[in-house]
Amino acid sequence: MSVLREMFGNLIGRPVTVLYPREKVPIPEAFRGRVAITDDKCIGCSKCSLVCPAQVITMIDGPREVEFRGKNLARKKRPQVKLYQCIRCGLCERHCPTGAIHLEQVHAGTGTDREVVVT
Amino acid sequence: MTDSLFLLVYIFLFPGFAFLILYAWALSFLDRKIAARMQQRVGPPFYQPFADFIKMLAKEVINPRGVDWRLFDAIPLVALAAVMTAFLYIPVTGASPLAFPGDLVVVLYLLSLPAVALFLLGWLSRNIFAAIGGVRAVTMLFIYEVPFFLAALTPALMAGSWSISDIVLWQQKNLWFVFLQPIGFVVALVGLQAKLERTPFDIPEAETEVIAGPWTELTGRRLALMDLCVQVSLVAGSALIVALFLGGPALPWTLSPPWLNALAGFLLFLIKTLAIILILASIRVATGRIRIDQLNDIGWKYLAGAALVQVGIALVINYLWVTP
Amino acid sequence: MAEVVIPIGPQHPALKEPVNFRIIADGEKIVRLELDLSYNHRGIEKAAEQRNFIRVLPLLERVCGICSHSHATNFAKGVEEIMALEIPPRARYIRTIIAELERMHSHLLWLGVAAHEIGFNTLFMWTWRDREAVQDTLEEMSGNRVHYGMNEIGGVRRDLTPAQIQAALSRLPVLEERVRQYRQMVESEETLLMRFRGVGRLSKEEVLKYGAVGPTARASGVDYDVRKDDPYLAYAEVPFNVVTDTSGDVYGRTRVRVGELGESLKIVRYCLEHIPEGPIRADAPHTAPEGETLSRYEAPRGELAHFIRTNGTDKAERIDIRTPTLANWTSVAVCLVNQNLADIPVIVAAIDPCLSCTSRLTVVNRNDGTAGVITFDELRRRRDRQWDRQELR
Repeated sequence: MSVLREMFGNLIGRPVTVLYPREKVPIPEAFRGRVAITDDKCIGCSKCSLVCPAQVITMIDGPREVEFRGKNLARKKRPQVKLYQCIRCGLCERHCPTGAIHLEQVHAGTGTDREVVVT
Repeated sequence: MTDSLFLLVYIFLFPGFAFLILYAWALSFLDRKIAARMQQRVGPPFYQPFADFIKMLAKEVINPRGVDWRLFDAIPLVALAAVMTAFLYIPVTGASPLAFPGDLVVVLYLLSLPAVALFLLGWLSRNIFAAIGGVRAVTMLFIYEVPFFLAALTPALMAGSWSISDIVLWQQKNLWFVFLQPIGFVVALVGLQAKLERTPFDIPEAETEVIAGPWTELTGRRLALMDLCVQVSLVAGSALIVALFLGGPALPWTLSPPWLNALAGFLLFLIKTLAIILILASIRVATGRIRIDQLNDIGWKYLAGAALVQVGIALVINYLWVTP
Repeated sequence: MAEVVIPIGPQHPALKEPVNFRIIADGEKIVRLELDLSYNHRGIEKAAEQRNFIRVLPLLERVCGICSHSHATNFAKGVEEIMALEIPPRARYIRTIIAELERMHSHLLWLGVAAHEIGFNTLFMWTWRDREAVQDTLEEMSGNRVHYGMNEIGGVRRDLTPAQIQAALSRLPVLEERVRQYRQMVESEETLLMRFRGVGRLSKEEVLKYGAVGPTARASGVDYDVRKDDPYLAYAEVPFNVVTDTSGDVYGRTRVRVGELGESLKIVRYCLEHIPEGPIRADAPHTAPEGETLSRYEAPRGELAHFIRTNGTDKAERIDIRTPTLANWTSVAVCLVNQNLADIPVIVAAIDPCLSCTSRLTVVNRNDGTAGVITFDELRRRRDRQWDRQELR
């Protein structure tokens, strides 16, 4: 019977459990992980903030100079993401015109620094 | 003096209670590890049953309102004491020093006490799920006890004695009963699986139907002791089947220094009980749970019928070959 | 034992989600059943009215974890129908691939859960091990193991690279072999047959009378599958069979689901091999014209229906979700009577209940018997009245 064959075959074989964190599973490239913002690409258009379904992105002050379409612009605002409430849908990445906000291949970590939960 | 000292060591240290508890934990670990590997999981580490015991002893004991807490404390202790006493009569390194004619009956009776204890716990719990589980436990007791007792009876018939140590002696001189009475062996194994309430017969404690059955309101040290009782009955039941059918801790010849004989017997005992555990774990992994009315059908139609056939065959063989 | 009331739920090891059955049992036989479904109500239909078409899709995905793509695709399909928007063929194929992968993962999950309900934990571990292959494929394609986020109005959000297609195709032979083994196990494993055969039998007339859908209905011989009867996405071009059975009991439903696993594998393979080139999305307008549509979809559990009404703005005015589990609950209440207590988890698991999908709210006015939903203005009026009573404003 196939059940018995599989059972005894498994007894001699190795278990399939991945002993995290000693062993790790490779994370695919398309993985939707933690949100990260590249400051020198962001033009502060607030599209990400408008599109976010969970409303976790707010625009805060962050005056800087950004190069956009060949011109140097002085921009005032930058997005701040509440990483602990982000649902990682990726709509911000999809609608960002410059690709400044993107999802990394990293699980949002745990930690005691503020950078872990808010970017 | 040395006689009573020897008895004390036998009862409390080896192969009595200390060895029994350690071996119960070892076999419980092996059972879980084998089942896990068959399912391609890793399984628990070797100290898991010991760690579970210590942890549960430390947990809070909750008395549901209106429940007689003194009985709740006493019943797991009585069940544990029963199965531990039953193990003392089963040969481990040779004949048991406590053996007497009729100890097979005593062992069978003591091994059926946990089921009655579960019924009492379920009935006293004032919890509908526990009550249903307790009723199922006792219904199962009526179904599997008859075939199991009959299957345990046939070796005694052929060996001509009601003492387990004599049955082992008979097998040492002649042939293991697993070859003479294979049907009885299978019925005894199935009966043991039902007695230990393991899949496919874990009907009283079916997690998806009655939460935990009679175990629902057990907490803390009561759960630890009842768990230990089930693990010890695993050892006692396997040792009983090894003694009755697989020749017990005996080689077909006797070795000259008695301590070497005892050591060889002990090693054989370990190997044979491990083989039984492998079979029981395989049964547990390969099947799902059946319903109590389906067990009723199977128990009375096939198990009891097979056991009766086995008794008949044993009587015939006895008459024709053994007694003259 | 005399008649006792056994509460199964709202918390019970047999249930994955809260639902309240009050079973009135006589010994081990069930006499009557009282059902209460609303423990998972989250107000999603209301929340969806306040989000525009871009932001509403992640919300609708999260109606249910197992059939998340079904809800999102069904809604996108309905809105595209109102907008009269034609999505490119590559987008249709990608949506179909994800949909069938979702069906596979849902049926493998169900097989494991059904095995767990009868105490057969080995099959549970094995099916969930194979489900990991499907989840890995979905993670590579969409970035997440559940809540794939592939849809947007007008097409799909991400493309499938040739490397992803190759990786998915390489996993299929192993899955096909395992599904064949499961079919054999289901048909020959003795305790499974004992627990599933003859349990929860529904005749074809009862199925049609109580409106059961999905594998529950197909197991009783009702040949109804939205993919064949009202084709959408790429199903009109992909060859596949609808799996039916005639026994109508839990065993029949098991066989239907295992059969559907095989069919899904065929569909995924065909779509991966024949996926057309081209763009993956069409430019969608921000607002939808006024209109109403009933969008239907074959979710893993049966026919999922979204009623969408738009009014010219960029938000939907009303979304009503009728999930397949909601249609199947009456059949559970019917076939549980006169069964054994031990069969409850088996029968409940056989319709593959997804209570997160199910809980919707209906208000019945006891005085005149009218039933309906409460509008937002009515809620506000009642809240004001209560605050006045309590002198809170």
